[in-house]
Amino acid sequence: DALLGCHRSYRSQPTHGIGKFKYLLPKEGPKKRKEKVQMKEISAGTEYQYGDVNIQMTSYDLCLVEHFAQYVHRLCNRLSIRVNESYAMPTKTNEVLFLEERGSKMQLDAVLTTHQRVVQIRGLSSTFAPILLEIIQSSQPEGVHLLVKQHTEADFKSRLKSRPELEELLSQMS
Amino acid sequence: AESVTPESLFLHALCTFFSCSSWLPQRVPLQGSHWQSSLLDLRTSLPVRAQPKKKKKVDVKKEQAQKERMKKRIKKLEKAAPELIPIEDFITPLKYSESNRVRSLPALSPEESERRVLLMKKWCLFKQKQDEAEKKAIKAVVESQQEALKELRLESEELYQAAIRRDEGLFPFQRDGPSYTPPLPGYDPPEGKCIDITKVYTQ
Repeated sequence: DALLGCHRSYRSQPTHGIGKFKYLLPKEGPKKRKEKVQMKEISAGTEYQYGDVNIQMTSYDLCLVEHFAQYVHRLCNRLSIRVNESYAMPTKTNEVLFLEERGSKMQLDAVLTTHQRVVQIRGLSSTFAPILLEIIQSSQPEGVHLLVKQHTEADFKSRLKSRPELEELLSQMS
Repeated sequence: AESVTPESLFLHALCTFFSCSSWLPQRVPLQGSHWQSSLLDLRTSLPVRAQPKKKKKVDVKKEQAQKERMKKRIKKLEKAAPELIPIEDFITPLKYSESNRVRSLPALSPEESERRVLLMKKWCLFKQKQDEAEKKAIKAVVESQQEALKELRLESEELYQAAIRRDEGLFPFQRDGPSYTPPLPGYDPPEGKCIDITKVYTQ
C-alpha cells in the first residue's frame, strides 16, 4: 500500500485526507487572463477578393445607427460573408452655437452627439461587392451617413487611448 | 565640442605664458621637442590639461546615465498594453440607475389587447413579405450577373478576366442618407460655430 509504504506515519491513519473538499467541487477552467488589445493582421486580399473592408455608419441618432449596424451584420451573415468584427467607435460631442440676430453674443443652440458603428468584413468577392453596396444603400435610413473603405492601421490606432508621455519620451530620444 | 588635444592646449598655454611674462630670459621658440621644459612650464601645464578632461568624463557619463534612464522609462511605458477608448454609449449614466421610481401602466381592456395582437401579426406578415422580396431581389440580381458573365466569357476571354478583377476605385465609398424633406429654397441660416467637446482619454 502506497500509504503505508512512506515513512510518515499519519498518512496511513484513517483520518488521512480529512478536511479535503476541493475534489468534490466542479473543476474550474484555466484562469482567464486579460487579453491584450493587439492589432489583428490586415489582409490585403487577392486580385478577385477585397481584403479587410470597413463599413462605417455615422449618425446623430443612436438607435437608428445601432439598428442599421445590426441589419448590416445579419445581412452579411445571411450572405455568408465573413464578419471579422462589429464594434463601435468612440462618441463625439459637438456644441452648436449660433449668433443671435440682434447682438454679438453666441448662444448655445444644442449639444449633439455623433455615433459611429463599424462592421468589418473580409473576403468580399469582386463581383458581389457592387450588389452588396446596392442592398445597403437601398435600406439606408435617414440621417445615417455611410462610408465603406479599406481597413488600415490608422483606423485601428484611432480606437486606442493616446499616450502623451510615451510620445514625448520617444520624441526626446530621437 | 571642439576637439581639444592636450598638446595644442599646452602649446597655447605656453604661448600666452611666453607673451605675458617679460622676465623670462630669451628663449628659443618652440621647435619640436617641447617636453624639455622648465619646471614653471610644467606647473602651469598640469592644471590646464586636467580641466577639459574632467568636463568630458562627467558630461559623457551624465548623458549616458540620462539616456539609460529614458530608455528604462520608455520600456516600462511600452510594457503596458494599449487600451481602447471607453464608449460612452454603452455606459448608462448613474442618475438613471439610482432612482427607484416605477412606471404604473393602466390596465388594458380585452378589445385593446386583441387589437394590439392583431396589429402585431399584421406587422410581422408585412415584415416577412418585405424580407422575402429582398431575398428574391438579391437572388435575381446575382443570377443575372452570373448569366451576363457567362455570356461575356463566351464572347471574349480577355474582357471576362478584366471584369472579374477587383475595382480599385470602388473604395472609399461615401453616401449620405436620404433626408425627410428637400432643402428649403432661399433659406438663410444664422451664423454660428461648432465646438468639439469630446472627452480626451489618455493612458
